[in-house]
Amino acid sequence: MSDASVELVIRWAVMVAILAPLAAAIGVGVLLMARAKWIGEQAVAGAVTTALHISAIASLIASACHFGLPSMRAIGNIEYGNWLAVGNYSVPIVALVDGIALAFSLLAASLTALVARFSRTYLHKEAGFARFFVLLSMFAAGAQLVAFAGALDVFFAGWELIGISSALFIGFFHERDEPVRSSVRAFATYRLCDVGLLIAMVTTHEVLGSTRFSALAAAGTLPAFESATIAALFLLSAMGKSAQLPFSGWLPRAMEGPTPTSALFYGAVSIHAGLYLMLRVSPILDVAPLVAALGVVVGISTAVYAAAVARVHTDAKGALAHATLAQIGLILAEICLGLTTLALVHLVCHALLRAYQYLRAPNTIHDVHQHGHIEHGRMFFSRIAPRLSAGIYTAAVHRLRLDELIDRAISPVLSLSRALARIDARVSGITGSDSTAP
Amino acid sequence: MSASTCAASICRRHNLVAVISSQDDDILAHATPLDRAIASAHGILPDQGPIGVFVHHNTLHAFQHLPFHDGVQAGAAQLDARPYLDIHEFREAWQRGRIEDRDAADTIQRVLGARAEERVIFGVNRASLWFALLRDVVDEADDAGLQYQHSHGASRLHGATHLSAALQRLSTAPAHGDARARTPRRHRDALVALGATDTDVVVHPELVRLCAVFLDHGQAMAEMPHREQGFLRAVAHLFTTGTTEPVGCRGLRQDMLQVLANGTSASDVITSSLTALGVTATSIEPVLLATALALPGWTGMFSRLERHPEEIESPASVTLRDVLAVRLLYERRAIESACDAAGVPANWTQLQSKLAAYEPQSLHHEAWILAGVASSAGATPAAIGAMSDAELSQFRHEIDGIPLHTRRRLLHEAYERRYRREILDGLQALRPEIPARSTMRPEAQFVFCIDEREESVRRALEELSPSFETFGVAGFFGVAIDFMGLYDDAPAAYCPVVITPAHEVHESAIASEQHWHLKRSGLRDRWRAASRMVHRQSRTLSGGAGLSFVLGPIAAAIALSRVIAPRTSLAVADSARDKFAPRPSTRLSPLRPGDETLARSERGKFVGFSLDEAVDRVSGVLRAIGLTTRFAPVVFILGHGSTSLNNPHESAHDCGACGGRRGGGNARLFAEMANSAAVRSALHAQGIVIPDDVWFVGGLHDTADDSVTLYELEYMPVNLAPAFQRAHDALDTARRESAAERCRRFINAPLGISADDALRHVQGRSSHLAQPRPEYGHCTNAICIVGRRTISRGLHLDRRSFLVSYDPTTDEDAAILTRILTAVGPVGAGISLEYYFSSVDNERFGCGTKLPHNVTGLVGVMAGHQSDLRTGLPLQMVEIHEPMRLLLIVDATTDALLKVASRVPEVAELVVNEWVQLVSCDPETGQMAIFQDGAFIPYQPGTAPLEHVERSRDWHMRSRAHQPPAIVTSALRADVKSR
Repeated sequence: MSDASVELVIRWAVMVAILAPLAAAIGVGVLLMARAKWIGEQAVAGAVTTALHISAIASLIASACHFGLPSMRAIGNIEYGNWLAVGNYSVPIVALVDGIALAFSLLAASLTALVARFSRTYLHKEAGFARFFVLLSMFAAGAQLVAFAGALDVFFAGWELIGISSALFIGFFHERDEPVRSSVRAFATYRLCDVGLLIAMVTTHEVLGSTRFSALAAAGTLPAFESATIAALFLLSAMGKSAQLPFSGWLPRAMEGPTPTSALFYGAVSIHAGLYLMLRVSPILDVAPLVAALGVVVGISTAVYAAAVARVHTDAKGALAHATLAQIGLILAEICLGLTTLALVHLVCHALLRAYQYLRAPNTIHDVHQHGHIEHGRMFFSRIAPRLSAGIYTAAVHRLRLDELIDRAISPVLSLSRALARIDARVSGITGSDSTAP
Repeated sequence: MSASTCAASICRRHNLVAVISSQDDDILAHATPLDRAIASAHGILPDQGPIGVFVHHNTLHAFQHLPFHDGVQAGAAQLDARPYLDIHEFREAWQRGRIEDRDAADTIQRVLGARAEERVIFGVNRASLWFALLRDVVDEADDAGLQYQHSHGASRLHGATHLSAALQRLSTAPAHGDARARTPRRHRDALVALGATDTDVVVHPELVRLCAVFLDHGQAMAEMPHREQGFLRAVAHLFTTGTTEPVGCRGLRQDMLQVLANGTSASDVITSSLTALGVTATSIEPVLLATALALPGWTGMFSRLERHPEEIESPASVTLRDVLAVRLLYERRAIESACDAAGVPANWTQLQSKLAAYEPQSLHHEAWILAGVASSAGATPAAIGAMSDAELSQFRHEIDGIPLHTRRRLLHEAYERRYRREILDGLQALRPEIPARSTMRPEAQFVFCIDEREESVRRALEELSPSFETFGVAGFFGVAIDFMGLYDDAPAAYCPVVITPAHEVHESAIASEQHWHLKRSGLRDRWRAASRMVHRQSRTLSGGAGLSFVLGPIAAAIALSRVIAPRTSLAVADSARDKFAPRPSTRLSPLRPGDETLARSERGKFVGFSLDEAVDRVSGVLRAIGLTTRFAPVVFILGHGSTSLNNPHESAHDCGACGGRRGGGNARLFAEMANSAAVRSALHAQGIVIPDDVWFVGGLHDTADDSVTLYELEYMPVNLAPAFQRAHDALDTARRESAAERCRRFINAPLGISADDALRHVQGRSSHLAQPRPEYGHCTNAICIVGRRTISRGLHLDRRSFLVSYDPTTDEDAAILTRILTAVGPVGAGISLEYYFSSVDNERFGCGTKLPHNVTGLVGVMAGHQSDLRTGLPLQMVEIHEPMRLLLIVDATTDALLKVASRVPEVAELVVNEWVQLVSCDPETGQMAIFQDGAFIPYQPGTAPLEHVERSRDWHMRSRAHQPPAIVTSALRADVKSR
């Protein structure tokens, strides 16, 4: 086969990997909203699972072509035209196909397909069965967009799909209060941190003239302040998605969702998406050493924090969430130290391990019967400094009261917005719902 | 029954009541309000132990001293739950014919008696009025909904004009006195009603975390510091290490430090916190009880472990008072903050007075009922308008006479009545078809647990040959033991939870296979240590980093194989293990040598039974099931258990008679004792002659994958091998048929599935990580038949009946029956009532859907990350259950049953208070009588003919729904083959 035709294969494979789950999400979603009673579990799960398998196979084909043919290693950007163009501003639809992209795509696609298979029986007869599968394929589309995005605009679209499906999965059991509260908190954290990505995108376009990741290589030519700002904004959005300190509070709350999604999102793909962003923009970290250093500090402190919390958590999923977070922190530090290859391998292996551990989390009692009781271990420093150790223990049990910290930090903003709403209502004479708020 | 015997039963009832009430004592009369509240909390809180061993019990056991309907209503009110199915669920059942008109009419007639015929309104009598209220009238107490329906042109049932007329008429009527009282039980309820902060949202997350770390026994890596000092002190100690208090509980830290400094007891903390909140004197008891019930799962676990400390390995004493003290310390400060913020007093009396005492009864609601009654009575809208004030007040009086909970109660009774009729008529219709008792020697006999899941296997066996007989006995087979299997770390009790075994039985490898055993156990130990290491280290910072690289790809491969081919992957792994290190043959230690001192274990219990004890156990079971003559050459003794993955409730599918464990060891032990020559000769002296050519085979039936494991076949006399082989083949066929019968309930198995496919299907379920329904367990259980198998053999009972073997003809003075009902009554009622409550209100009494379940501290599951500990059964276990009281049908005279009840208070309580529906089926005449309102009422069977089918499969494969009884003719052939 000629290089051109292989390139064509890759071009199509990438498109299929993204569009198959997207089509399934939209198709099934529209049918459900039209209240078509005739689509049962079999049809919904069948359509979505098929789409996800197609996506996984497409991703596999692209990887095979890429890694199999030395000439394809440097394929780089694949252009699909412009989404829109206004004057000299355009939003290009461009895919960046390289080792990192394919690794992440393959990881996400295969795990999503696996979870879909798992969930066919696991969610059988559950009230939200169809909703689950629509969200799952929406997430899959988002993950593939993120993986293959060659420019920040496309990346942002996928990023948001992941975010919204994650929040909706946390609130999956919306008939109880707690999942809804947790879902809102996760969503709010995502939104807050997404501001970083949005501003970074606009800034990048302004200063580099393009939002393509490939253009970031030119970041070295920027003034230090500008490159540091952009890098810091990327770091902020990655910290939100990957639950780094001080935004870690939503992660244990995310355990409200059904177990397979906990595996997929917080064991494997979604939680690693922030790291993937940092891998993508790593050229800019090279020219922003202060931000890289900050990233290392954030990563290491999150790792230590999460390791302590994982040690005291008594629930299967919560302990896993923090054990995962500890590794995420480490990987972030690795990326910021420039060890990108190590970080990528660590990321993939870790995601695979956690996905399986999450899927088995309800088996804890059975496992203890099998492998025997595990005696309690010790908290850090319990021998040399028992009081300090107890202090760490308490802080870990209450997870540093991070939620309260965030609440307190944003309360002035909330009060201000309430005050503005009141003034607004009074001035316009319209009684909005906020005018009755205390 | 004549009038005189009826009166006699009522007299006896009074005796029974005396039997029950003699249990109670009045120690509590002199106790403080605090003690009384604690005592009632111990009773009402969920009584479920750590989830590793799940034992079914009556969820509302604390209300069992009340008649059923009073008990469920009181209990449900206390726990904010539903006592019965919802009224619309009943009406839906009525529409699809699950309730028939006559069931409702008869139930109403029974309750109303002579008052039924009085004319009340619109020219209809009271019975018709009630009937209309049960069947037609929408009882939504939801005002907004009614207003919406009204503004959108009324509904399917009530003409819009009727409703308008009723509204019109009522708007001019004098105000109705009936208003709903609004009674907050504790501060939080009042605060929520006032629109202030919900203090539970402040307190619960904190409390859940603290309870979890304190009760954890091995899931977290680090242990709570100072745990050995009890919950209150351990929590207080946390505050000495610089912890901040939560935002909503200002002042808490000081309180905690003071508790520690002054060494205040939990009771004093409770009292002082309540006093600070203005809760004094008579309000202490209700407020404290409501406080204890606010987080019932966690608080209940403290209560349970206080009473059963042996269920958890903990250095600390776990007490209910401690958890209440901690809760109140938090709650007091949270309430004070919330009251401050809302500008209301924190004093309980003053806070209550801030609430309007009553919400007025809605006009819409009343109009709705009036319109409904009028239209179903055929009255015109004009007739409504023309009602006089006197008529209106009469109407209101009548409606007040049948409030919502009474309507649901009546519907519930009608729902039960329909099913009861079906079953009793079925048993009656079977009677003429029972073949004459054979004198032939049976070919094989099978003794199962009484479990209703074994009904299908037994029926399948009986269909195969008339010379197969089956029996049912509580699945620990009369041997209450602490059993230690070959690879167990410690012995555990294998018997009903009310018994503490005095004996231990160990399984050991036989001498010639010791080397295998050593090899296998060595490998096993290493494997287990590695698993533990991986489990723990992969969750640490450094270990996680290191292990990720090694284990990530392996985990992916395993996950893939386990999800894509669950059955095969597990089978391959198991067989590889067994090939590598085969499981050695083993023996038990059933009989101990004469020297008593040698035979004690480290725990001070006898290892094995003495000869007399063994004889006693064996003869006890054989007499109970009526198997004392006509022994078949091969007698199978089959315990049961269940295997499933990713299922925290796995143990709930195991054998209840073995204390939520697997009954294989018990069955094996019983068989071994019954095979012992010494035991047999002693039995001979007692008049039970077991011929030499009889062999007992112990085994285990796995109710999830329908496998049967048999033990110690190598010791069977060779001349019995052909007979064994025939019986074994039959058992193999029967388990497949049974699997197919189970599969009809699983929507993802095709209806009419073949027996072999069915076996594969259930094996897949049992080994699948993604299967929340490995089996339906006791779901759909409804009946318990105690009696000779002949009265039910050949009747298709749809796996819904516990089957207890009992022969009334050999039972003098109801002695055996007393023993049987003492054990079976509470166990059967416990299972049936646990399913009842978990299915009428799955969120409150049950633990909701399994999908967000999160195993915590090895004690239970939470829904999500910080919920209450969820007790009861998950939705997936009860979704096809029909909540009814157990229909206990006993092959005995009414006199015998009354005799038993007068001897055993536990049985009397269940029967007199009607927590089970007791039916006597006379052994001679077959006349049935139902125990209702304190006496046995003779039952008049219906005359509709019963469907006859050749094989069970022809009947149950017709639909996935509940099947009424049918006669299976192949199980009723007379045994003419001579052997």
